[in-house]
Amino acid sequence: MSSKKKINKKDIGKLLSRWSQQFTVLAPSMESGVATMAEWDGKDTSFLDWYRNTVIPPKANFFPPMEEMFSFQKDREGYHIELPLVNEHKQLIFGIRPCDAKALAILDMTFEEAYEDPYYLAKRNSAVLVGLGCTNPYDSCFCTSLGISPAESTDVDLMLTDIGDQFLIEEVTDKGKELIAKTSGLKEATETDEARAKEAKETSHNKVTRKINTEGIEDKLLACFDDEDYWEKIAAKCISCGICTFLCPTCYCFDINDELVKQQGARFRSWDSCAFPLYTKMPMENPRLEKWRRVRQRVCHKFEFYPMTFNVIACTGCGRCIRLCPVNWDITRVLESLPVKV
Amino acid sequence: MKGITDISHRRRFLAGGNVYLPHIVVIERIIEENPGVRTFHFNFKDEKLREEFTFESGQFGEYSVFGIGEAPFCISSSPTIRDHLEFAVQKVGRITNALHRLGVGTELGFRGPYGNGFPLDFLQGKNLVFVAGGIGLAPLRSLIWNVIDNRDKYKSIDIIYGARSPADLCFKYDLEVWDKDKTVNMVTTVDRGDETWTGRVGLVPKVLEEVAPSASNAVAIVCGPPIMIRFTFPALERLGFTPEQMLTTLEKRMKCGIGKCGRCNIGNVYVCRDGPVFSYAQIKNFISSEY
Ligand SMILES: Cc1cc2nc3c(=O)[nH]c(=O)nc-3n(C[C@H](O)[C@H](O)[C@H](O)COP(=O)(O)OP(=O)(O)OC[C@H]3O[C@@H](n4cnc5c(N)ncnc54)[C@H](O)[C@@H]3O)c2cc1C
Ligand code: SF4
Ligand code: SF4
Ligand code: FES
Repeated sequence: MSSKKKINKKDIGKLLSRWSQQFTVLAPSMESGVATMAEWDGKDTSFLDWYRNTVIPPKANFFPPMEEMFSFQKDREGYHIELPLVNEHKQLIFGIRPCDAKALAILDMTFEEAYEDPYYLAKRNSAVLVGLGCTNPYDSCFCTSLGISPAESTDVDLMLTDIGDQFLIEEVTDKGKELIAKTSGLKEATETDEARAKEAKETSHNKVTRKINTEGIEDKLLACFDDEDYWEKIAAKCISCGICTFLCPTCYCFDINDELVKQQGARFRSWDSCAFPLYTKMPMENPRLEKWRRVRQRVCHKFEFYPMTFNVIACTGCGRCIRLCPVNWDITRVLESLPVKV
Repeated sequence: MKGITDISHRRRFLAGGNVYLPHIVVIERIIEENPGVRTFHFNFKDEKLREEFTFESGQFGEYSVFGIGEAPFCISSSPTIRDHLEFAVQKVGRITNALHRLGVGTELGFRGPYGNGFPLDFLQGKNLVFVAGGIGLAPLRSLIWNVIDNRDKYKSIDIIYGARSPADLCFKYDLEVWDKDKTVNMVTTVDRGDETWTGRVGLVPKVLEEVAPSASNAVAIVCGPPIMIRFTFPALERLGFTPEQMLTTLEKRMKCGIGKCGRCNIGNVYVCRDGPVFSYAQIKNFISSEY
């Protein structure tokens, strides 16, 4: 018997309401014209019509743009440090795309390595990811070149596929299985449903037409690492705004700062970016003062250094940095124009 | 390739199980080394931690001035001293200026120790040549005392230390002791002397070549301003030292100190996590020359 379920699209509201009793349900939402994963309002499912992907990547739900690490207070006995209150409610993200789910798996490596990052991991380990296959990828998407399917994912707990008036629901992890077992109102999928899903997945896959060749990319980058002229040319039009890093689902660089008001203070961390010269500025010198060095850092971190350390390219081909760059800087063109023949 | 050093053995002293939470430490003594540099003696407020805390020469900590922020400084005292810890601070910016305004009894935050420290196993049984400039003596000082306190494990000790002027010399109380120590060859130099200065005058790399310590069974440990380091490596090479025989500690802008916030990398190497101590051979193998 098939373990796959299905649900009518018009019943998605009911499903999310049910899950809301157990989780903080996050779903695609428009906030001031910017698509993001935000707490579901309990009724609106119109995102099913407009949602392609969010502008703000889901990393923001685990690693917020600004996050209090602790507060401190001074009294006669000295300083006292207090952790912020944690939201006991676990997050369920509904509709995460396969590329963004993979991005979280990539971030896990950094945040788990050697010293565990308690802020990220507390949110991450308790979360449930419900993936939604793409039916309408952007022409900037190139996930398939990074070994990611727009229709399938092993990085989510449940995976949904659009089969017309319904979604097919597949259990990917044990966590997903448990959730389904506790969720009423789902129907068993038929063989016809599964056949339709298979077809939908193929169509989806074929809609991602932008490609890059990642074979030997580490070696190619190594070979042209010191080609200053090339990097200068590549970096020429970049305005160092940092949007490509802030909105990249796998970028994780951060800054740490204090704030103090009348003996009461807090330490925060906030997203930072290798696009900024201040990021590496030291009292006497700055190793990445020149823009081309910063652009090289971003490209090589993703396609050379991260693979050297963690054996995975730190780019999912989500295409955000291409869609959202104000000067049309395009990472796929950079990677295709490396001045090496290997 | 994982990090270039194995960090699995490093001891952690986590406050509340959270790597970002600082321990509270108290300043017990302040020494004015020169107008721009102060040494702080400090201790953990928590008695148990005073007993348990261990570190290696060359490791660093992240120190908080609450409300101003956090900055990395090496632990400048030797692990052989058990009753307190020390760090030395050169005034260059926001946090370092704030530190210089603090008095005895002030509470700071401390997390660490971080980084790899000097490889004692590799140094034992060798002739050691310490080459330092200015505040760069801080991390070497921890190692020098460590070595002197275990004197029979090491062969000869040369220390070549320089500063811009006699007034800029740090740790003068140590320099005097090492100068009197018959088992140590202490050479102090300044770029420019003054009326009272009777010692050597000359830049560190030049004086190093004059002193000309033998490279045989020796290791040179170098720390100072980047310009000094850049001239010291070639000077050592001319004396016959191989890149494997030269160690240094690198400095980068740092925030997290634990390989997460991203900024201290040189290629795939994170100075906070994989260093800050590297051999010149390792540095030459870095993908990037951004150091
Ligand atoms: C592993 C390690 C060990 C170290 N050990 C020691 C040690 O033992 N002793 C020691 O004295 N130092 C040591 N340092 C150096 C020390 O960490 C720095 O000097 C210190 O972090 C400077 O902090 P600050 O807040 O005073 O400077 P900052 O205020 O950060 O200023 C530094 C410089 O950056 C510029 N700057 C910073 N932020 C901005 C901004 N927002 N806008 C414009 N300009 C800006 C400033 O102009 C200034 O010149 C060590 C560093 C490392 C990495
Ligand atoms: S978004 Fe574009 S202009 Fe801005 S830093 Fe990135 S590449 Fe440069
Ligand atoms: S580098 Fe660009 S395409 Fe790759 S994951 Fe980041 S934002 Fe997406
Ligand atoms: S200081 Fe944050 S990665 Fe090294």
